[in-house]
Amino acid sequence: MLDVLLIGLSVGSILLLASLGLVIIYGAMGVVNMAHGEMVMVGAYAAVMTQIWLGWSLYAAIPIAFCVAALLGFLIERCVVRRLYGRLGDTLLATWGVAILVQQAVRLEGGLAFFGIHIQGLGPGLQNMPVPPELQGAFLVGGTSINAYRAFIVASTLVLTLLTWLLMYRTRMGMQVRAIIRNPRMAAACGIDVERVNAWTFAFGAGLAGVTGVLVAGFKTVSPDMGTSLVVDSFLVVVAGGVGSLLGAVLTAVGLGEINGVVAALSNDIVARAAMFGLVILLIIVRPQGLFSFKGR
Amino acid sequence: MVSSLDRRATFAAYAVFLALVALAPLVLDGFWLNRLAKYLVYGMLGVAIAMCWGYAGILNLGQGLFFGIGAYMLAMSLKMASPASLQHGGSGPVPDFMLSNAEPGAKIDLCCINPLAFVWSPFRHQSFGILMGVVLPVAVAFLLGTVVFRKRIAGVFVSIVTLALVLLVRLLLVDAQPLTNGFNGLSDLAWLRFGGFEFDPYGLATYYLIAAVLALVLVGSRLLLATRAGLILRATSGDPQRARYLGFDVAHYQIFFFSLSAGIAALAGMLYVVVAEFASPTFLDLAFSITMVVWAAVGGRGSLLGACLGAILINMLESTASETQSLVEAWRVIVGLAFVLVVLYLPKGIGGWAHDMLARWGRTGRAAE
Repeated sequence: MLDVLLIGLSVGSILLLASLGLVIIYGAMGVVNMAHGEMVMVGAYAAVMTQIWLGWSLYAAIPIAFCVAALLGFLIERCVVRRLYGRLGDTLLATWGVAILVQQAVRLEGGLAFFGIHIQGLGPGLQNMPVPPELQGAFLVGGTSINAYRAFIVASTLVLTLLTWLLMYRTRMGMQVRAIIRNPRMAAACGIDVERVNAWTFAFGAGLAGVTGVLVAGFKTVSPDMGTSLVVDSFLVVVAGGVGSLLGAVLTAVGLGEINGVVAALSNDIVARAAMFGLVILLIIVRPQGLFSFKGR
Repeated sequence: MVSSLDRRATFAAYAVFLALVALAPLVLDGFWLNRLAKYLVYGMLGVAIAMCWGYAGILNLGQGLFFGIGAYMLAMSLKMASPASLQHGGSGPVPDFMLSNAEPGAKIDLCCINPLAFVWSPFRHQSFGILMGVVLPVAVAFLLGTVVFRKRIAGVFVSIVTLALVLLVRLLLVDAQPLTNGFNGLSDLAWLRFGGFEFDPYGLATYYLIAAVLALVLVGSRLLLATRAGLILRATSGDPQRARYLGFDVAHYQIFFFSLSAGIAALAGMLYVVVAEFASPTFLDLAFSITMVVWAAVGGRGSLLGACLGAILINMLESTASETQSLVEAWRVIVGLAFVLVVLYLPKGIGGWAHDMLARWGRTGRAAE
């Protein structure tokens, strides 16, 4: 039973990491970023590339993936998202277009594939990211064997969530983001540079997605379309948890992860995912404002 | 006057489009006729999206659900009529994938070849498949719409619910492998029969069946949206709160047009099965549902004909591009880019843009008089 719960916890951790960025982006900017899954994918590719080209391990890939995804996020905000504030539905569509572009960029190796140049680690095929030896295998805690990599995912998520919380609740920038989440116009009227804060928020959210990608790369094959299913799941977490609520995202992600883990143990992975979707649909219908929400926006 | 110019231009556009659709078989062979028939089916999906999104203001990211249910319902009855399902020595037809999946010694009959196989038995009658193909999706849309719109869930939340629902159904469809043939979907189907006449997917009759349904759907929707109900619908999507103040039951109109749009999508799904001879879980993929929205957005969501043309033209270009492998990937780049640019610079799509240009032209024309 404990192992099932840990599997659920690790599923929830991945969900949470992918959602954290979305919670802030959606909450602060009113942007439904369908390209968020592609940020995860880019992070995973960054990990694969560091392994192939630099020979560095998964640990080193984490900061690299964060920077790569954050930079890409920053560019997307500057080029596309910036022009769409206040048009929620349109952000969804435009970022879907961006998602296609990012996927194709990886598939076509940045367009070089047309000229017959191939970069190892990119392209339409599947890639693998080896896990460091100390994270392979399992260890025993009180009679239950615990998969080391799953424990690592949970621990990394804890650290990153804590970091995000500190950023949001203990720094000046975080205070500004929270002000924008509550009321963007009032925040602007109080002298907060909303455009600048938005750009940084978007980049930070994308960076978190990039780190998620590294962790996912450790147990899944990396492919250009790996992000799509993840973005859907994490969106459901954000909406069910309550827009802009960090606590809501944490509890919803862990709850859904556990439900996924338990149902998967009872029947199979497909039914587990279906159960998760069904639950979230019910949740949205019963409580459209999400589990944890506050007035505003 | 601008509005009469507008009306005349719209009328002319519809007339030209329908004439082109009617005359296309004069220059096309069976292969291209079959292809064009598929594009017309997509055009029907464009109309469904434009009605739901452009007029009712509901961005449904799960339109594939209705398309898929329609397709599967008809495909089930066509599967039962296929020779492979009939020739196995048992008493009635049994879908061939069930035969190959059957455990040794199982009774070869729909009662008990697998636990839920009896669901298939009414599909022995083709009329049941056709009926369910429309009734079931509309019922699902009605129920979903009632729950969602009565609770005044709006905007992006509706999109998320529909998106989650289509994926939920897709997962269950794939998981119910013994019943639905899972990932493989239903292929090797019989031709649609109607009063002794068989619709050959490459034949002229099938093309005209689809063309006629599209014409009916397009003109019917256009006329319906021009009525008072259509006007009220637009008022509700513009400002639901104000429409409520004026005494209109907003949810009422939303549910009606949402269900109607689902019905059109379901009809499209059924016709797609007739012309493509398969039904597959890819109809319920998220990518397909969003792709439909792309067609409508590029063509113009505020115009039924625009969305319809958008769907047809994008698919035409796409299949031309897909003749060579490297162009397929490049084509997707173009679609992605076009999508971003249209959302950024032409929010009303090409149809809306043409509309605006016409209005401007009408104004300058009048000023010169």
